Amino acid sequence: MFKNEEMEINMGPQHPSTHGVLRLKLKLDGEIITKCTPCIGYLHRGVEKICENKSFFQGQVWTDRMDYTSAIANNLGWAESIEKLFGITVPRRAVYIRTLLNEFNRLASHLIWLATHGLDIGAMTVFIYTFREREAILDIFDAFCGSRLTTTAFRIGGLREDLPPGFEKKVRDFLAKFPDCINEYETLLTENRIWKKRTIGVGILKAEDAIAMGVTGPVLRAAGVPYDIRKAFPYAAYSEMDFEIPTRTEADTYARYQVRLEEMRQSARIIQQCIDGLPEGPVMAKLPKVLRSEVNEVYHPTEAPKGELGYYLVGEKGSLNPYRFHVRAPGFINLQALPMMIEGGLVADVIATIGTLDVVLGEIDR
Amino acid sequence: MRTFLKTLFPVDIFKGMKLTGTHFAKVFATANRRKVKLHVTEEYPEVPVKLAPRFRGRLTMLKDEQGEIKCVCCLACEKICPTQVITIESGKKEGRKTKIPTRYDFEMERCIFCEFCVESCGFDSIILNHQFELAAYNREDFSIGMLGESQNMFGLTPVGKFSYSDED
Repeated sequence: MFKNEEMEINMGPQHPSTHGVLRLKLKLDGEIITKCTPCIGYLHRGVEKICENKSFFQGQVWTDRMDYTSAIANNLGWAESIEKLFGITVPRRAVYIRTLLNEFNRLASHLIWLATHGLDIGAMTVFIYTFREREAILDIFDAFCGSRLTTTAFRIGGLREDLPPGFEKKVRDFLAKFPDCINEYETLLTENRIWKKRTIGVGILKAEDAIAMGVTGPVLRAAGVPYDIRKAFPYAAYSEMDFEIPTRTEADTYARYQVRLEEMRQSARIIQQCIDGLPEGPVMAKLPKVLRSEVNEVYHPTEAPKGELGYYLVGEKGSLNPYRFHVRAPGFINLQALPMMIEGGLVADVIATIGTLDVVLGEIDR
Repeated sequence: MRTFLKTLFPVDIFKGMKLTGTHFAKVFATANRRKVKLHVTEEYPEVPVKLAPRFRGRLTMLKDEQGEIKCVCCLACEKICPTQVITIESGKKEGRKTKIPTRYDFEMERCIFCEFCVESCGFDSIILNHQFELAAYNREDFSIGMLGESQNMFGLTPVGKFSYSDED
């Protein structure tokens, strides 16, 4: 009478909790997922190819539009990889300001992650509180570079302008109230029984699997591997900063939530150290008017909020633009682990797992 | 026993509700009495937005004190523009040593507001103003230049209902 058939359904690309235009082909046996195939490419713009046809100065505007929740981290990777390619030394003040803004970006990205992850699972309230703080951070970006989302904040060789007047006060005001704000999110979620039921033991990705899949960022750290580019291969001013790498061993969604919250606290610490120890001096290095590359290649990894963001650039002799440009997008690599995490689980847990991977489709499709 | 009591009395949920309630009560009770408002939302279209001094709005050309166009057609902005939205044609004018643009086209629909053009300009002849309400009904309204009635490269674009001008 009852046939035991598998059903294939599409989740996305217009599903609100796939964070963009991710489409998942799910094969279901009842409510158990037997197979999952992510389909990407709906937001493909060809950023890598475009940047190969633009000069080294121009390419930065496309990096804004890759991971649109953390544009400054993308800008930093782009600027530093080109500085590495040409051997440019950036003034110390500029390096400190870059580090400060990069950490603010990590906060903004993690706040938007917490808001959407909460919304997906059903915790609506936390969305309002995280966006309150994100607004303050975006105001700081706006004061610094004139734009909130597509920042184009840095220039090759340093910064365009020094900090605006009143910037330091804004940062200090924010830092004074931010630890209380994290405690508010913790009050709403950490002990909440519904949140715990939805996250504990969901989407487990063990350390060896995570390493095998190349997963980086908070997902890897929640599995107990203390790998952070800021410590492993320090860039910007991170070698001078005092901070810790939070890790958990449970490797589930709840552990990733705890890791990210702890990371926000550490980010606030780094910002405090940056603003306290801000050196005086120029913010722009002396550059030639035209950058002509030699035959040279460079790979520059940075710790973006989502994981390891690497830029690979190949220079051609006498050329104004890179011969080859490749981005190692953390979201793209992390998404590969999604089938491993959800196969054998329930449909309802797919939402929680996508949320905890913190994918941004602008970066995955590029 | 403890687990049973915890299940019976949802303390965790009450803690969260207390937080929300406190915030609500604070804002509700002090709604119109405080000088520094506790609520964080803004009544945007009715109350104009306060923009940061570095805000990047629409591209505008500047004139000097004599009403002359400052641009000397060095084409730096045209070259640096990542999306090629600027087109300049240069000409000559009597009594002026440098070149003068006869045409300066700015196609706003493709502009990404990165401010590279302003940065590259060595004569301070262009800025990004503070106009951000740039919606229009026709595609032609986005093609801004020096010629014609609606093509206003020197002032504000006549689009947007709540247009807000550069006040500082």
